[in-house]
Amino acid sequence: MESPFRVLIVEDDEPMREFFAASIERNPRLRLLAGVGSVTLARRWLDDPAHGVDVLLTDLGLPDGSGLDVIRHARQRHPACEALVISMFGDEDNVLASIEAGALGYIHKDATPDDIAQTILEMKAGASPISPMIARRVLAKYRSSLQDRGSVPEAPGATADPSPTPRGLLSAREQQVLELIARGFSYAEISRLTGVSVHTVQTHIKNLYGKLAVHSKSEAVFEATRMGLLPRF
Amino acid sequence: MSRVWSTPFGLLIRLLAGSILCLSTGLQAAPLDLTRAQVTLEVDGASSVRSVTLPYPWDRYHKGQEGRAVFLVDFDLATVPDGPWALYLPRVGTAYEIWLNGRMLEHRGDMAQFNGGDYGQVPRYLNVPVGYLAPHNRIEVRIRADVGRRGGLSRLVLGPMDEVYPLYLREYRLRSVGSMLVMGFSLVVGLVSLALWATQTRVTDWGAIQRDPLYLYAGLAELFWTVRVGHTQIEVPPLDWPWWGVLPVTALGAWGAFMTFFCLELAGVRRSSRLAGGFRRWLMLLMLLGPLVGVLALGLGRPLVLTVWYAALGLSFLAFGAWFIGHAVRTPSRMQRVVAAAVVINVVTGLRDLYVFRIEPAYPSNALMYYTSMLFGLTLGYVVLARFRAVSAQARELMQAMAARIAERERELNSSYQRLEALAREQERTNERARILRDMHDGVGSHISAAIRQLQSGRARQEDVLQTLRDSLDQLKLTIDAMHLPPGDVTALLANLRYRLEPRLQASDIALEWDVDLIDPVERLDAHAMRHLQFMVFEAISNVLQHADAHRLRVEAAQVGPGVRLGIIDNGRGFDVSAPPRKGLLSLRERAQAIGAQLRIESAPGRTLVEVFVPGT
Repeated sequence: MESPFRVLIVEDDEPMREFFAASIERNPRLRLLAGVGSVTLARRWLDDPAHGVDVLLTDLGLPDGSGLDVIRHARQRHPACEALVISMFGDEDNVLASIEAGALGYIHKDATPDDIAQTILEMKAGASPISPMIARRVLAKYRSSLQDRGSVPEAPGATADPSPTPRGLLSAREQQVLELIARGFSYAEISRLTGVSVHTVQTHIKNLYGKLAVHSKSEAVFEATRMGLLPRF
Repeated sequence: MSRVWSTPFGLLIRLLAGSILCLSTGLQAAPLDLTRAQVTLEVDGASSVRSVTLPYPWDRYHKGQEGRAVFLVDFDLATVPDGPWALYLPRVGTAYEIWLNGRMLEHRGDMAQFNGGDYGQVPRYLNVPVGYLAPHNRIEVRIRADVGRRGGLSRLVLGPMDEVYPLYLREYRLRSVGSMLVMGFSLVVGLVSLALWATQTRVTDWGAIQRDPLYLYAGLAELFWTVRVGHTQIEVPPLDWPWWGVLPVTALGAWGAFMTFFCLELAGVRRSSRLAGGFRRWLMLLMLLGPLVGVLALGLGRPLVLTVWYAALGLSFLAFGAWFIGHAVRTPSRMQRVVAAAVVINVVTGLRDLYVFRIEPAYPSNALMYYTSMLFGLTLGYVVLARFRAVSAQARELMQAMAARIAERERELNSSYQRLEALAREQERTNERARILRDMHDGVGSHISAAIRQLQSGRARQEDVLQTLRDSLDQLKLTIDAMHLPPGDVTALLANLRYRLEPRLQASDIALEWDVDLIDPVERLDAHAMRHLQFMVFEAISNVLQHADAHRLRVEAAQVGPGVRLGIIDNGRGFDVSAPPRKGLLSLRERAQAIGAQLRIESAPGRTLVEVFVPGT
């Protein structure tokens, strides 16, 4: 059996942090490295060259700053580290901001311990959950960027173009997947409707996350402005 | 003429004019001033010889008669000059020949033909070549003199070129260049005035175009004055005699009349006033008589008519001048005082000119009125400037007033807009607050109070309490999601709902069939209605999950015209639709009614349908 994934928790609410810590420790494939309660501590921990980390679980509302900064910091110091956001509501604005900061998904605070471990493992296996709302926003962004380029979006499913697309551009298949998610279909249903495997659907979704992530602060501002998010960012 | 001027009034004028004459004549030349002559006259076929003192104004001695004359001027020189000398004649005409010691110096015009070209308009300057002069000399001047053209011979001035030439130049400038300047000035002022008259229009209330006669009068007066002054500058007349002589007479009358009209207009004398009207008509008459008088005097040899006409004109202007001065003194208007001053100066110079040209002809250089008449032009300029200043001041005030009013309006608009906006915002806040309160009451609130009751009863299983609390959090999430839902997007609403209910659906044994089309946004579903609809679908699905004991749940959504049809179908045990509805069902009905949707519920064992139809408009 391969070595367990190393997890760092950043959560200022202590019972919540302990609950997450317990949920992780219960699963043999996960190993808890540390649990800290502030951006400063998280940074200090991440800056320590002795530390290696695979998974970052972070709350957004921290006493000395935003969890988004922790995610960005982690991505700089540990490119292989994948981040999940701990969210109370999984609401659109916070989730989108997290994704742009580089998170690959989120875990609800009311999730069961099994759910928590499961979500982390699925992410490491290549799956990223995406809500219909986020899908809708990604589609909107895609369409507006198409308008920026002066072309019209092609009909979904008209062509299945497997060729790689530049960052920020969706392939026809990705677009089709997104549209189905926005209509509420599950991955299994999408797999059936489009004739591809569930795993492929999950890969598409994970690619989308990568495309949504922005790689610098100024880029984030630019992207947010373009998407009309800035006032709520 | 002499009869007019012999009155006491005339005497006064003579005195007045005489004093001005003294002022205006001055310097005498240092060179030889030759004034003694023997003249041989040839008038009406009769010939006579006599001694005269120059100048010899023809019109004064031969009223209404044309003729020829030969002046002989003898003089001796102590020493015969060896440098260049010159002869200067301030006036000689109408046509002439000049001889010195039997040699012709110059001749101009036809000596035989009367009323031809007029060569007496400018002073003459002749070079006297070295050798022409001797100890005993004779100058012979032959002239042809027409009627009323200021013919005759002035004194002769002989001397070294250096001394004579400046005298000539000064006189030439005064008469020729001065006249040209006056003419140009009058022409420009006249044309500008007419242009002003043509362009400065005002549209009256009844749509007629109104022009200011002030400009018309000034323009016509100045143009007539141009003719009057310009007339003397032309040596070869383009018209036959006597018409060429009638022209300046007419022009003078017209100038006076129009200038008077101008002053009347400026003084603001109402045209309806009887006195002013009479005076106007009188001046009109004089003006129209001008050509007739000219023809009579110059063509038919009745010079007295012209003199009387001149006198009538002069007296009229004098009377008007006196009246106008009185008027100007009474009214505190600076403009009228300026005009009055111009009138006074012109009347005085007019009298002086009359005296010099008609009573004591002495061949002065020019009529002073040439120059003083320019005062009217300057006055007009002053009037135009003053008006322009007044108008621009008015315009400025108007602009300022308008700018102030616009700013005031802008402020009012702004404040009322801000009030409206504040009201709208307040209204929005109130609505939002009401919506959130209702949400909390129906959703989270009711669930939490249910959980409290469950715990208080002591009989509830932990599982149930957990479920209630989970429901409560779900409701909260749905409330937040509803805030982000695009209004009218039913597809997004259903997709989101499914996403939120996914853990529960997975926990149950129910297979979900999802048949949701991409539906156009439904216009009439605002945020409030969306939340109702979300509640309804949530309620229907919760019912199936909790009570139906079903294995399959089907959710359908399809576009029906501009509206949407939703169906939630399960294969559970069903319930009695006709029985008194439970709380959940009741709330479904209420919400459907609230958003104007049609609710249809069919239930039988194995198939229960909850259908919601939301019309598009």
